[in-house]
Parts: sequence; C-alpha cells; structure tokens
Amino acid sequence: MGVDRNRGIDKRLPLRQVEFHILLSLASGERHGYGIIQDIEARGETSVPDVGTMYRALARMVEAGLIEAAARRPALDRGDERRNYYRITSAGMRVARAEARRLELLTRAARLGGLLPKGVK
Amino acid sequence: MTRNRMLNLSERWFRLLHRLYPPDFRDEMGAAVVEAYMDRACDALKTGGRIHLIALWVRAFVDSLRNGAAERVRPAALWRRAGAWGRDIELVRRRLVRSPIFAASTIGTLTIGLGMFAVVYTAVQKVLIDPMPYKDPGDLYYVWRDYGPISDVKRGSVVGTDILELQKANGVIEAAAGLQPMLGGIFALREGAEAMEIAVTRTSPNLFHLLGVAPALGRSFAPDEIGRAREQVMVMTHHLWKRLGAAPGIVGRDVRLQGRPFTVIGVLPPDFSFVRNDAAAPPQRVDAYIPLAVNLAEPDRRGGYAGLIRARRGASPGAVAAAVDAVGRAVDARDFNSRGLKLYPVGLKADVISRIRPALVVLGAAGLVLVFMLMLNLASVLIARAAQREHEVAVSRALGANTIAIVRSTLLEGGLLGLAGGALGALVATWGTSALVALAPPDLPRREAIAIDSSIAAAVIAVGALLGVLAAAAPAVWAARVSLSSLLAGSAVRGGGGQSRWRRGMIVAQVALSLILLSSGALVMRSFERLLRADPGFRSEGVFTVRVRTPPEFFPQTSDTIAFQDRVERALAAIPGVTGASAASALPLTATAFYEERITIPGAPGNTGDAEQDKALTDIILARAKYVEVMGMRLIAGRTFTESRQNGVTEAMIDTAIARRFFPEGNAVGAKILLGERSLTIIGVVNQARLYDIHADGRPQILVRAEDFGARPLFYVMRTTREPHSLLPEVQSAVQRVDPRVPVGDARAMDDIVQASLSPQAIGGTLISVFAVGALLLAAMGLFGVVAGSVTRRRHELAIRLALGADHGRVLRLVLKEGVLLVMAGLLIGAPGIYVANRLIRGLLVGVSPSDPLTLLAAALGLLLVTMVTCYVPARRALKIEPAQLLRHE
Repeated sequence: MGVDRNRGIDKRLPLRQVEFHILLSLASGERHGYGIIQDIEARGETSVPDVGTMYRALARMVEAGLIEAAARRPALDRGDERRNYYRITSAGMRVARAEARRLELLTRAARLGGLLPKGVK
Repeated sequence: MTRNRMLNLSERWFRLLHRLYPPDFRDEMGAAVVEAYMDRACDALKTGGRIHLIALWVRAFVDSLRNGAAERVRPAALWRRAGAWGRDIELVRRRLVRSPIFAASTIGTLTIGLGMFAVVYTAVQKVLIDPMPYKDPGDLYYVWRDYGPISDVKRGSVVGTDILELQKANGVIEAAAGLQPMLGGIFALREGAEAMEIAVTRTSPNLFHLLGVAPALGRSFAPDEIGRAREQVMVMTHHLWKRLGAAPGIVGRDVRLQGRPFTVIGVLPPDFSFVRNDAAAPPQRVDAYIPLAVNLAEPDRRGGYAGLIRARRGASPGAVAAAVDAVGRAVDARDFNSRGLKLYPVGLKADVISRIRPALVVLGAAGLVLVFMLMLNLASVLIARAAQREHEVAVSRALGANTIAIVRSTLLEGGLLGLAGGALGALVATWGTSALVALAPPDLPRREAIAIDSSIAAAVIAVGALLGVLAAAAPAVWAARVSLSSLLAGSAVRGGGGQSRWRRGMIVAQVALSLILLSSGALVMRSFERLLRADPGFRSEGVFTVRVRTPPEFFPQTSDTIAFQDRVERALAAIPGVTGASAASALPLTATAFYEERITIPGAPGNTGDAEQDKALTDIILARAKYVEVMGMRLIAGRTFTESRQNGVTEAMIDTAIARRFFPEGNAVGAKILLGERSLTIIGVVNQARLYDIHADGRPQILVRAEDFGARPLFYVMRTTREPHSLLPEVQSAVQRVDPRVPVGDARAMDDIVQASLSPQAIGGTLISVFAVGALLLAAMGLFGVVAGSVTRRRHELAIRLALGADHGRVLRLVLKEGVLLVMAGLLIGAPGIYVANRLIRGLLVGVSPSDPLTLLAAALGLLLVTMVTCYVPARRALKIEPAQLLRHE
C-alpha cells in the first residue's frame, strides 16, 4: 500500500510552479486565493500568477485531493463578504514535501555543477 | 472620479470578464475570482492610483481571455487524455477500415436484416399501434347486429331506427351516426362535363362532428341537412378536390352526381382519411360524403347502415358494450319479439384492421426473432474476431492494460456496427415500405399511413445500436477474462479458449430459432399454395370485367335499364377477340353480393316443417344469359340461362349447397323457389363461383336472371383470346357509343381480382419466407464459421491422426460430427418452440393444420440438409492437411 501511495506521488511530480506555491502557502495555514497571491508576492517571486491561473489551479487541486475547501469565514477587511478558504490535505502535504525534496536535489546538483556558488547553505 | 466609482467600474469589468469562463467553473469559482480581483484593485488604487488600476484591468482581460479559453477546451482535452472514448472510437474505426471485407459483410447483413425488420415494424406500428387520426379515437366504435337467432349473420348491418335509439341513449353513448354506401357515384364537375366514378358515402349529418374533424374549406353538414326534401349538399375529400384540379372556388359550386345537382359545401383536410366499414363488403375508401336521403325514422327497405358511435370520453369498453347492449335489448323487444338479436360495439380501429391483424402480428413476431438472430450472428462473428486478437488482448492485459478499456472498445465495435447497420437498414426500408405498399391490396386498412418517419427510423437505428452492444457483450466479457495464463494453457492443448464454447452455444440457439421460423414459413407457404390451387368455382384466365352503372336518374324505368344493358352487352360481344360477353350484379371474390334474401322452397323434400328453419339466407346474384359459360362455372344439373326466355317463367339457378339441403335426392330442376312475392323456377344447379374466400364456399347462392329484374349496376364479363387489359379502349368506346353519359368503371381482369384476394396471404407468405430463409442463411453462416475455425484450430490434432494412419474419411467424419451435433441440439431445442409459434400463425393458415407433420418434417430436413452442406464445405479443408509438412513446420 505504501508503495502505491508513493507511486501516486511520483506520478504528480514535478508540480507546476503555481501548484507548489499554493501548497507552500497552505502548509502554514488556511488561506483564500488572494491571500496565496499575496504570499507569493511576499516570497519575491518574479512572475506572480494571475488570478484566473490561481483559481483554475485551485479547482484542479481540489479535484486531485491535494487541497480542500475550508469552512468559509468573513473577510476581515471587507465586512460582510465571505470568500473561499482552502487548506492542505495530507496527500497534498506529502506531494509538497516530495516536490521540495526534488527541488532540493536539483539545487544541490546545480551547486555541484557550478551553477550556484558553493558553500552557501 | 471618486475611488468608489472606480471600484464599482472595476467590479463590473471583472464580472463581465468572468463570463469568459465556462459556466461550471463560474458556478464554482466565479465569485471568488471577482473577489480576488477586487482585492487587487483596492491594493492597486492604494499603491499606484488610477494608472495601476487601469493596468490591472488590462492584465485581468488578458488573464481571463487565456484562462477562460483554456478552461473551456479542457473537457475535450480531458476526454482525449483520460476518458479515452474518443481514442477508442478512432481505434475501432481504424480496425474496421483495415478489415473492409469483415466490415462490409457484417454491415451488409445487418442492413438487410434490419431493413426487413424496419419494413415490418413500420407496417405494425402504423397499422396496429398508431391511433387513428380522429379526436379521441379510442372512444369511437362501430355497432353491428348479431342476427344469430334468425340467421347466420353475426356481423350484420343495423337499421335507421337502431341509430335513432343509439342517439337517444344519452348515457355512455354521446353520439351516433349511420353510414351507407351510395350505389352509383357518377360524378361530373358540371352538366355535360366528362363523367367519372367516385366512391360516395351517405351519412348522418353529424359524422364529422362525431369524428372531431373540421373541414379545411367551407363547412360540414348542418344537423337538419338530411332527407330528400333538403337541398343536395356534398363534402369532398382533399384527395378528390386535388384530382379535380384543386380549384379554390370549389365551395359553393354546383356539381353533378348521377346527373343531379349537388352543392359542394366543404373540403376535408388533407390528413383526413376514413374507411367506411360495411357489414357485408370489404372496407371502402370514400371520395365524397352526402347526407342520408331519408330520415332515419322512416322505414327504409334499401339495406342497412353501419352504425358509428362516440362514447363518453374515457368510458371503458365494457361500459360501452353494456350501453349498446341495453339499446339492443330494447330494440329486440320492440322489433323482433325478443328473439335475442343483439347489438354490439367493436372499436373503430379493431374493426377496420381485423382482417389484416393476424398476419401483422405474425410478421411482427417473426421480425423480432430475426433481430434476435441477427444479434446472435453478430455476437458469434465478433467473438471470432476477438479470438483473432486473443494474443494481443492477453499480452496487453499482462502489460497492465485497463480491463475497462478492452471491454469498452469491444462494446464500441459492436455498437458502431449496429449503428451503421441500423442507419442503412432504415434507408433501405424507405424503399422497402413503398414496395410493400405497392404490393398491398388497395383496400388494406390504413394503407396510406404506411411509410417510415423519423421516429421509426430513430427506433430502428437505436435497435441496431442496442443489438450491436448486446452482441458485443459476450465477446467483451470473454475478452475481459482472457489472460496470459489462460492463453498459454489454451495453446498448450491447442483447444482454443472459451470462445468456441460461446460460439457453439450461439449456433445451437440460431439453429433452434431458424427451425421455428422455417417451420412457420413452410406452413404459411403451404397454406398459400393450397389457396393458389383452390378451385374458386370459375376460370379466371382470359376474362375481363368492367362495371357500368345505370343510375335511375338516367334510366328511370327498369325497362330502360334492361334495354341499355342489352345494347351494351351486344356491343361488347362484337369487339374482336371477345368470344363471349355477359354480366352479373356481383363478381366472384369481391366479397360483395349487394343482395341477400331469405328464400323458401315449398314442397322440397329437405324441408323440416319448421317455417323459421326452412328459410335459407342466400346471396342473390343477378346474371344475364351465358354468364355461367363466360365465367367458366361448372354446371352440375339442368341447363344455364340462354338468350331465349319463356314468358311468365322467372328462371333461377341454385348452387350445390342449396341443392344438397333441399333436394338430397337430386332432381331440383323444375322446383319453385319463393323469393319475396316472386316465384322462381329452378332450371339448373351449379358449383358456387365463390364470392368471399377462395378456399371455401360462402353463403349459399342463387343466380336469377338480370333481364327479369333490371339490376344496377352490372359488372360485364368478357371471355377473350386477347390479353384482357388490351380490351379496355374498345370497351370504353363501345359503351360510349351506346350512351355517352355513362362512364366505364373498375376495369379489371378476373386474374387481378383473384390476385387481390390472395394478396394478404401472398405478402405474409413472401415476407415470412424471406425471414425464414434469411434466418437459415444466418445460421448457416455461423455454422460455417465454427466448423472452419475448428478445422483450423484442430489441424495439428488432425495431422497427427492422419500421420498415425487414420484415413481421410474418418477425419472428415470427425469434423462433421461436431457440426451435426450442434445442429441436432438446435433442432431438439427448437422443436418445442414450433408449438409456441403455431399458436400465433394458426389464424393465417387455411386448409393446413398448424402441426402438419409432413410440412414440419420437411422444414427440419431442409434445415438439416442445408446445415450439413455448410458443415461439409469447410470440413473438406481437413482433407487438404499434409501431415508431414504441417508437423515439420511446427
């Protein structure tokens, strides 16, 4: 069974950039779509995904079971409006970790290959 | 512009943009997307003012355009990527294109089979199932009288007072009308215009109201438009109106019927069709309607009516029958001294189609059996085809191919084949139905309705597709079970997998079904052959007939009529090639006598003494001199009508039925018959020229001299050495010369009449035989495939047998045995089915018992013979095996 699960995860890798950003944001707590965009901007990403791209990715990831809709809560800044909050599922967490590991290996390889300065942790 | 106004504008823009996404995505995410954009807009205004906001608008536009479009095409992409239906269809299509012979033969078989099914289905649907084109047609009934206690007429006409009682009943019966044919019907657009014959029905004025039909032009009859005193009015069918040139000003125009003026007051809608049923004659199509000439309350000696009633909406048939019966009892008590004459209703449609119904039911059942056979055949072909791909399937499954995908593609293949066969079959059937209608007798009820429409075509295509999918179910299940290990096990013993078991089962089923169809077909054909050989009591070949009317308007006195008829007969006899001419009031096999009377023969030895019993209901046929000779009837005793007549003697001939009943010892000639007040002298005894059925005597007949009575109209008969139809122009001009006002109608050769009377049996027999032969071919095809496959599969075993010294005859027997066993099993299983089928076809058979052992044995032996030959041909391949060569190659 464990083998199966890992195979399922491997099949999903590599993640699209927007997907990894979403999982990364949700790993630290529930967020709504625009909140995730703000997170990405805060990370200093050069190409911040558009709103449409973001929500399409969210829809697909809900279908795939990587994230799920959380209970709705009022937006603090806009009074009566309510919006969609998302949280990461355990499967999503595993996929995110696997992707992070993959990126780490890739970065290490880049360092060994001289693309990045060595010695910096 | 204020900040709020900018935000409002933004929101509208974003809402507009979000329409670029597909609806399901909008439902799920739309609000959130707009929300997120609004957040961005607030931020943009805060940080960069309007410039940033407008930049965001542009960006949102590009974003929505890209992602909206991407989201819209996603389902298609998904389908291609994961759903695989599209890919499967493509694969199946390619597989079929790569084996064109398989595809063509399979689709061809399905096309022919489903085409035949479609023709039968159309006829059954249109004639038996579709409602008649009237308002609430289920509430319409014909009413007939059962004369049981006083004569053998079970479905007799009613009289005017019966209609009045039905109209007064006022409970379940809402309305009643009386209908009767108008004898005659010589129509001309105006005085002196060319005359033509049309079929005219006299009716109560409420007929169209009762049917719930309003005229397309003009009006229908007013309630008081009845009786001779009224102005003469006419409502014509759309068909007649078109035949007359579809003049728009027809309403209000004066036309001539039998030379008398009639005013056209209405034209019926084009889709209106009505067949007037009659107690004693076949249903008749109607061209024009005129009101009854007499008030229903007046006593009327000129024949009865067909009663037509409309029941209260939704009244049960039982309630209607009870209401009609109550009226019948009252009338019985008043008019018949309570002798037990009954009135009873028959549903309008049931009454109209009663003659054709048994044949259609049998054909419908045969059609279903054929479809089932097609399915079995397709299934065994698909299994054989799947078996060829056994390796491919097993290996791809071993490599992890999706079972569902394999099943799906097999089902798809069957479904697509069935779909194609159904579509082509429906196409073929559009021609097939028109061919059938052309063959059908002109009085076939609802004949005009028989044509394929879109819903029937759709149903046939659906049946085809369903048949294909069902047929593919067996190979699909089988393919899903194939695995590498089963394949290896199978090839180790060279037995071939489970597929051959499936195929054998299907062969057995097909043989059983074709036995049922073949035996039914053989019985129907045997009965048809009996009919063809039946002696109808006359010789039809070389006889030409026409009807010439003598309406009282043109020939008021009987003597005028007889003089005219004499002259016409002489003129016809003078036509070159005519060896004899005569005339009679009714032609054989037309099921119409026009006159029926109860006669007595006082003093005849066969009388019982009971006055009521000694009255015999007979068909009276008025015939002129030499009729017996021209018709080729057989004289049993005495002499026939000759040119010379004795003064004061009214001559008559009787048929053998009356002769046997009243004169068991013979010597009928010279006795006197009482017909009403007239006394007739028997001069001869003849064999009946059958009026109704070709295979059995109908009601007893008396021939009386037309010259004594002046019958109208007369059917002239001419015996000729020429091709009968070639006489028509000369006959027309001969009659024209005698009286230019009188047209010639109903020109037919006697052979045509015989054929028309056989046509229901001919159509039924032909179709069911075609079905049976088709079924036999399907079974033979399947058997051929199984035996051929078995020879191929067992060639090693056979080679070893040959190498070990078995001779060829032995090997051949071995292979044949397999086929024979399948056929025998099929015959055994099919035999009980014959009895079920026989219950259904009993109504179609004439002069043949449904369990006629000779016919059934012949069908079984024929089936056995054909299947033996189909086994033998592929089995011979076993003889070509070269053991040494074959075994070396392995």
